[in-house]
Parts: sequence; structure tokens; C-alpha cells
Amino acid sequence: MSNFKVGIRENQNVQVVDLKGYLDAHTAPELEKIFQALIDKKNFNIVVNCRDLNYISSAGLGVFMAYIEDVRKNSGDIKLSNMSAKIYNVFDLLGFPLLYDITSDEAEAIQNFCSKK
Amino acid sequence: MKSIYKKFKKALLLGTTGFLLFIVLVVDIIRQSVDIEIGWIVLLREILIVIAFATLFIMLESTWKREQTPSKKLGFALVLSLVAATATAMMFIISSSGFEVKNEYLLPLGFDTVVWANLASVVLGVTMILLVMILRDILFSKRRKGTKRNFIILIILIIVSSVATLLYRPMEYGIISTILTFITLGAMLWNSFRVSWIVYLTKREKILSIVYGFFLFLIFIGFDIILARGQTVVGQSILFYSPPLQTFIKEVALFATIYFGMTFISTLFHLPTAEAFDRKISEVSSLHNLSKLVTQVFDFNELVETVTAMTLQVCEAKSAWLEIITPHTLKKSTNNSIANGNDITIAGLKNISQEETQIIMEAIRSTIRQSVLDHNKPIIIESIRDDKRTQGIQMSANKFNSMAIVPLVSHEAVIGILYATKDVEYGFDKDDIDVISAFADQATVAIENSRLIEKSIERERLMREMMLAQEMQRKLLPQRIPQIENIDLDALSTPAFEVGGDYYDFLMIDNEHLGVLVGDVSGKGVSAAFYMAEMKGIFQSLSKIYTEPRKFLIEAQRALIETIDRRSFITVVYAVVNIKTGLMKIARAGHCPILHVSESKSGYIKSTGLGLGMGNVEIFERTITQTEVQLESGDVAVFYTDGVTEARPDGVPEFGYERLREVVASVYRKSAMQIRDSLITAVDSHMMHQPPEDDLTIVVLKWKK
Repeated sequence: MSNFKVGIRENQNVQVVDLKGYLDAHTAPELEKIFQALIDKKNFNIVVNCRDLNYISSAGLGVFMAYIEDVRKNSGDIKLSNMSAKIYNVFDLLGFPLLYDITSDEAEAIQNFCSKK
Repeated sequence: MKSIYKKFKKALLLGTTGFLLFIVLVVDIIRQSVDIEIGWIVLLREILIVIAFATLFIMLESTWKREQTPSKKLGFALVLSLVAATATAMMFIISSSGFEVKNEYLLPLGFDTVVWANLASVVLGVTMILLVMILRDILFSKRRKGTKRNFIILIILIIVSSVATLLYRPMEYGIISTILTFITLGAMLWNSFRVSWIVYLTKREKILSIVYGFFLFLIFIGFDIILARGQTVVGQSILFYSPPLQTFIKEVALFATIYFGMTFISTLFHLPTAEAFDRKISEVSSLHNLSKLVTQVFDFNELVETVTAMTLQVCEAKSAWLEIITPHTLKKSTNNSIANGNDITIAGLKNISQEETQIIMEAIRSTIRQSVLDHNKPIIIESIRDDKRTQGIQMSANKFNSMAIVPLVSHEAVIGILYATKDVEYGFDKDDIDVISAFADQATVAIENSRLIEKSIERERLMREMMLAQEMQRKLLPQRIPQIENIDLDALSTPAFEVGGDYYDFLMIDNEHLGVLVGDVSGKGVSAAFYMAEMKGIFQSLSKIYTEPRKFLIEAQRALIETIDRRSFITVVYAVVNIKTGLMKIARAGHCPILHVSESKSGYIKSTGLGLGMGNVEIFERTITQTEVQLESGDVAVFYTDGVTEARPDGVPEFGYERLREVVASVYRKSAMQIRDSLITAVDSHMMHQPPEDDLTIVVLKWKK
């Protein structure tokens, strides 16, 4: 029934989270679990690849807000990449670009991590 | 009133009987002293006797209690016949001159004989009427289709043969009477086979019935001998008094003899099976009572107590108890936890202590109990002492020697176990297991019921609280649209669920400025409603202090950031309109931008700003901007929530900003209310009339100057 999938892979010491499908109040806990697991393992450099993300609700947006502080406190970051125009609009409306590093592609986001170091 | 009338009626009937019988006595005394015989006086006398006994019968019938059991009726019959027999015997022992037979008529030899004949006839007549009523009630218990008919035929035959005696002189032999007597005898025998009620008596009642039946049989044989046609003084007395009455009494006595004899013999034959029958009856009735209880009583403990009590009663078990297994997902009070994720409750203990049940259950936990749980099948332990699986049970005083363990199975899962023990070995047979299983089934239903009820009560409580929350939330929204010069305003908000996260409000900040706020709390339900209430408080208190929208939102962020959950936020768009000049100042905190439609152009007023509760006050303050729009005559500003733009039925693109702009632009000349309604209609038809998935709020402001 769940039309939402999360995948994790590593790309140059950066954890890449791939989102697919619908991120809403029902599926948000899945993503929360992933973030919690990453933070527990002291992985603080995270890129969320939104290429296959079709929809995000306010509950979905809340997940990013829940962990950004913890991650940044540990001098890491959650960066977002590869958003479709529609998804970007949702993030944009809420002012996410003011708070988050949103890049057009994953490599750029990883690059941003490296240059920071 | 009614009871007085009834009493009066009874007294009247009894009085009539007494009066008529007294007349008969007087007539008899006169006949004895004055030696005349007139035919019509004799006939009139007989009619008076019939009327007297008929009124007596009506009186008795109106006070008659029918509800007693057959064995009680038998007891009553015995007492009655003993009294009658003693009374008649006493009368004739004391004194009677006897009769002289002359010309087949009976002539009394003294006044005393006349009086005694009257008294004895009345006593025996009343006795037989009561006896007929008793026999009727006994026959009619467990009656079948033809029972009543057969009995009525018998009574008619008795009455006919009684009346037929008038054809002859008292001591004369009559062929018609003899024939009628034989036919009546046939009817008596036919009726005598109606003894099926015996089967349904309890063992105790059967023993009573045998005793009663035996003595009644003996007594009525005595009556039969005494009453035989004019052979004894008693028989002659009654024959003298009234030949029809004599026949009536004689035939009723004969029927009673046959029937009581039959009762005695039948009951004797039924005695050996009485115990088994008793047991079946009690099984059936306890099951019946139990299932009635299950549907009527919702007190779970009471039901459990009943189940174990009946197990004791029906199986003659020594002790019984019920183990109720509650999965952890269903919260329930726990007494003690034994095993794997389930709560175990011991209930309905009978003749056993909590400690003893613990010892037994602990001893058979991994063996028999587990096997019952695994296979959902009952197990009998014939001998606790010899059975290897129950070696662990060391009990004093040999209280437990055999045991039955029956699972309570509901939907393939064991939700409890019913235990019963006996103090003898090999105490439980297959019948016992069947019965205990039946009780276990009832207990299962009871447990299921109580759990369902508990759940539904909980659900109802939550529902009521949600209704309350909904009601309170509705009150947070403006109850009416303010009437303001130069401005045509209208609004609507519909929550998708009981409580929503959408919020809108208006406030006249001062004489010249109207504040309009539309917001959307992330998430749904109760938490959203709380934030919404908080937002309302912030708006009502801070909007008059901070009249610039941007400043207001910064202060709102400052107030909210401390209390709001990290992953929650409130998106808000806030406009302050100068109602004199039409200048609208706008700040947007992450909310859908205001749609501004004017004569020549239409578009969204996008300014930057984070949702309230995101980031911190510094970032918020740094990023939020304020824009100004000068409203011209006829201009429309539409405030809304994402329930409008994101309205999307399955498989169809969402309503979207472009469609929103087009719809409003097409009706922009109309009133605020009409624009609002057109927009709702458009969203509804886009949703193909499916109920909305998200809260939906629309505020339309039209500048009229």
C-alpha cells in the first residue's frame, strides 16, 4: 500500500537518501527512522535526492525540520537536490531555500560538502 | 375496586351453593317426616344439587392456582383425599341408622341418616370436583395436541353417565348405565397414558411422585370399594342423596385410581434414568441461562463467576477457575504475567485459592497447558497422581485427583482456559468435556463481548471529545463577517476531518485598518487545533500592537518558536488594509500567496518569508519581507489555503494556481460571496464531488471604492 520508498547509499563519504513517491503524514515516519539511524551512526553529512519524489505534504516537510538542528550542531548538514519544479515550489513557498541548501543536482550538493571542508 | 368485586363474586357463589344445599337438606328432612313422593320435587331437588355444585366449581376455578408442579399437585391430591376419607369414615363411625331397600328405592331409617347422607355427599362431591381440577392440571402439563380434547371427552362421558342414572330407580340395574360406564372406562384408560410429564420431573420429585402415587392408588381403591353401588352405608347414603352425584363421584374415583396407579408404575420405571435426565435438564437449562446472561449482562466478572459456578454444578466438579489470556495489544488490568507477551488473569475461582491455581498452572505450563494452547483441544487428566505430566502438582489432602482443561477459542486463537478438577480419579468423562466446552464457548462469547464493548465505549468517548474539539474550533473562527465601508468581505472554511488546521480571522486594528489573516497549521487533528488556538491568541493580542504585517509576524514567530514542536509550523499570510485609501500591506510566512485580480491584470503577491515555527527568530526576521498593493475600485484579493490549490482527485493533476487565477478572473466583477461560491464550485467539480482530503479555506476581499 505504501507508495513511498527510501534508499540509502554512500557517495564520497556523504550519505545520500533517495526518496521516491509520496511523502505525507503516513510515510513520514519511515523517513524519520532513516534520519534517526544516520544520526545515531554519527553520519551528519546528508544529501536527500528528491528526483523521484512526487509529492510532499506539510508532515513530510516537518521531517527535515526535525533533524536539521541536530545535524548542524554536529557541523553537518542536510542538503536537498534534484527536485522537480513542482516539489521545489512546495519547498519554496514555505521558505525552505532560506534555511536549506537546495541544489539542482546531487554532485553539486556533495561538492558543497567538500568545499566546506 | 376489582379485587372487592372479585371477593364479592366469590362470596355470592359460595353463598348460593350453601343456600341451595341447605334447601336440599330441608327438603330431605321434610320428605323423611312427611311421607309423600312427588316426582317434580325429586327432579327439582336434583337440579338444585347440580346448580349448587356448578356454582361451587365456578368459585373454585376462580381461586385455582395452576402453576404448581405435577408432584405438588399429587401431594395436594393426597392430602385432600386423606381428609375426605377420614371425614366420611368419622361420620359413619359416629352414627348412622342405615337404609332400608324397598322397591329398589333407598329409605333412610332415621333423621340422622338423612343428615349424614347430605354431609357425606357434599364432602365427597367437593373432593371429587377438586380432584378433577387437579387431574386436569396434571394431565395438561407437557400437554400435546389431543390432550385437552381427550380430557373433555372423558368429562362429558362422566356427566352423561351421571345424568343417565335418572332413567332408573336408585337400586335398579340399568343396561344404558352399564354401557356408558364401560365407554367411560375406555376414555379413562385412554387418558391414563398421558403421563409424559413424569419424564421431566427431577429425581426428588420423582421419588415424591412414587410415594404420593402409591398412597393415592391405595386410598382410591378404598373409595372404589366403599362407593360401589349401594354395598356400604356410605355408598347407600350418596346414592340416596343423588344417583347422578353418586355416579360422578364413583367414576371420578375410578379414574383417579387408574391414573394414580399408572403414575406410580410409570414413575417407578423412570426412576433409574432420573439422575441422567436431571443432569441433561440442568445442562440445558444452565446453558440456556448462560447464553441469556451473555446477551443481557455486560458485567464481565459476573459472567465469569457464572461460568465457573455452572461448571461446578453441572459436572459436579470440586473446583473450577478461568484463566483469561489478554494479548498485550489489548490493554487490561493484569494480575500477573506469566508468558510471552500476554497478560494472564485468573478469574471466577471456585473452591480453590489463587495460590493453588498458580501451583497447578505453573506445573503444567510447559506440558499440558502448552498442548492445549497449541492444538485448541481440551485435555483430561484422569489421574493427577499417576499422570507423568502432572507430577509437579503436590497437593495436600488429595483435593485434586482428576482435571479437565478446556480452551476458550475465538477466531483460531486461545483467549482463555477453563479448568475444572474433581476429588476422584477418572472423574471426567466425554459428556463432562462436552458440557465444559459448551460453557467455555459461552465464556468466549462473554469475553469477546466485553472487549468489544470496552473498545466501543473508548471509541465513543474519543468521538465525543473530537466533537467537542470541533465545536470549540468552530468557535475560534469569526462567527460573522464584519460589515466595513468600501470593503466587501466573505469567507468559508471547511475542515476535512473532525478538527482541522486551517485558520482565518479578521480584526479592525483601529478605525482605519482591517487585519485579515489566513493560516494553515501543519499536521492535522488535535495538535493542529491547539496551535490554531494559540495563533488566534497571538493574532488577537499582537495585531493591535504591531500594526505592520512584517513586524507582527516576527513577533508571532517569537511567541510561537518556544512552544511549537520542531517538526510543526504554521504558514500565515497577513494583510492590513487601510479602509480609507485601499492600501494593502502584506507579509507572508510560508503561506500560499494572495491572489490579486484587477481590471487589467491578475497575479500572486509573492514575498519571501519562512513558515512560523521554522528556523529561529533571527533567520525569520532577516528573510521576511513586506509588500504593498494599492487596491483600485473593483479589485479582488483572494486568501486561501493549500486545500484549494492542492485539491486533487486520484489520477488527475491538482487544482493549481493557474486554474485558481482563471476562475477568479472570470467572476471578478461579482460580489465577494459569489466569487467565493464560484471558487468552491470549481474546486468541488475538479474533485469530481469527492469529499476533500484537506481543509479548505477561502477569504475573498473586494475593494468597492
